[in-house]
Amino acid sequence: MSVIELKNLTKQYGKSRGIRNVNLNVEEGEIFGFIGPNGAGKSTTIRTLLGLIRPTGGSAAVFGKSCIEHPEVRKEVGYLPSEVFYYDGMRVTDLLKYSASFYKKDCTKRIAELAERMDLDLNKKIADLSFGNRKKVGIVQGLLHEPKLIILDEPTSGLDPLMQQKFFELIAEENRKGATVFFSSHILSEVQKMCGRVAFIKEGKIIKLEKMSDLQANSYKRISLEAESAVPEEVFRIDGVSDLHTKGNTVSFMFRGNLNTVLRKIASVSLRNISITEPDLEEIFLHYYTKEG
Amino acid sequence: MNMYRHEVRSLVKSTAIWIAGLAALAALYFAVYPGMMKDAENFRKLLEGYSPAVRAVLGIHLDFLTTLVGFYSMAFPFVSLCGAIQAANLGLSALSRESRERTADFLLVKPVSRSAIVSAKLLAALTAILATNAAYDAFTFFMANLVKTQDFDRKIFLMINLSLLFIQLIFFAVGMVVSVFFQRMKNVLPLSLGMVFGLYAVGALLAQKSDDPARYLSPFRYFDFIWIIRNGTYETSYLITGAVVAAVSIAASYLVYNRKDIHAVP
Repeated sequence: MSVIELKNLTKQYGKSRGIRNVNLNVEEGEIFGFIGPNGAGKSTTIRTLLGLIRPTGGSAAVFGKSCIEHPEVRKEVGYLPSEVFYYDGMRVTDLLKYSASFYKKDCTKRIAELAERMDLDLNKKIADLSFGNRKKVGIVQGLLHEPKLIILDEPTSGLDPLMQQKFFELIAEENRKGATVFFSSHILSEVQKMCGRVAFIKEGKIIKLEKMSDLQANSYKRISLEAESAVPEEVFRIDGVSDLHTKGNTVSFMFRGNLNTVLRKIASVSLRNISITEPDLEEIFLHYYTKEG
Repeated sequence: MNMYRHEVRSLVKSTAIWIAGLAALAALYFAVYPGMMKDAENFRKLLEGYSPAVRAVLGIHLDFLTTLVGFYSMAFPFVSLCGAIQAANLGLSALSRESRERTADFLLVKPVSRSAIVSAKLLAALTAILATNAAYDAFTFFMANLVKTQDFDRKIFLMINLSLLFIQLIFFAVGMVVSVFFQRMKNVLPLSLGMVFGLYAVGALLAQKSDDPARYLSPFRYFDFIWIIRNGTYETSYLITGAVVAAVSIAASYLVYNRKDIHAVP
């Protein structure tokens, strides 16, 4: 039985928003990346999965059951939304206790432990917390009942790099203990570090499902270089290059594939300057996935 | 149980304030009563100068003016007006709270059904309403005994007081069903004030006579205090109407809330 099972999941609202015929299986113990640009339908998919939104077609199941008909399956689910809001008047510790009270097990030790690791002051009022600290409350809140399925919706926004690292360590640890992780993001490199498999979603449709090992064989780079003399365009007409622009001495393109091949080509040119950057997801989609989708 | 406790705790402060407000209002009326009894005749003459229509709108009935219960029944619409605002507030805010405070992503992914959430919030609000009524009733009985010049009809007095509870229950239920149709309600008070004063005005302006069917439009007019004083009973048809309105509203709230899509915060 798959931990998450989406079958032809469809949610339509408005004209173009929503998701269409999303099919997805996430197996036990997996870290699954769910990636797509903002507004692609990641949140809609997650909210439908959690039972916050009713699908207009198809089905979404967690541990084989729909969250709408069997709300009790959510006992095994920990969810961290992209933006975290809690009852402002409460103290952090009261909120966490309230959260724990839904799971019918003693989470006191676990709360203390997680708070210590995330460097979170339990006695503060939630209204007094910064965005980053509220996010930490969200993380503790999502993990305090040791869920078997952890669902993360853009989890790193608002966390500083140090906390991001701690957070990923925490998630990896839970995964080693057996938790399945479903992780949505619009930052590819973030997902690349963690996930075993990844699904790409765009305009409400899954356009590609890949194993991370396949994806890692291909790294995506945006390369711009300035040569000593004019560069003939043919030099860079190799597999994996797209969006190629040459103008006098400058060349810029996107590259996907084995870096060594392209570096050899670059080495054949006498360089004055070069920059190799991580393209953002939108670019990757634009140049590689739109046609395949 | 945990949700009920959480909700009740969040209502304690506002309920205490409402109780204090209602008690202060009642105290004001009872404080005026002994003075009025002294000048009863003059006062009567003064009020006779008003046209019958004006007297009807203001709820003034000359025959009962000088009895404690009669006097109380005239002051009571203002109490029920305040009580209705409290109840409408409770009803409108209970299920819209998660969208206002953006805590839906917390509460609605817990392993509980939507119906259980509605029930917990419903019971918490009912607790607040019952506490308000119990405190108000105790306080007004105490005050009435303090200022009475002769014995008064306790049963009628209680019946008038109970109409506060019934009016509150109706407004609470209607507030609740209104709130589930909002995707996101930013402010509760303007809506509840509009609802309460709107229905009060409808009752006062459209249904002036006691046999006017327009009375069904305004819960404030379901309880005709003169009728209650004269007959010692409520008017059954209005009581049933009130109960039906409340029951249908609550049932619809469950139904709609259960099927509602909870979207991400914008």
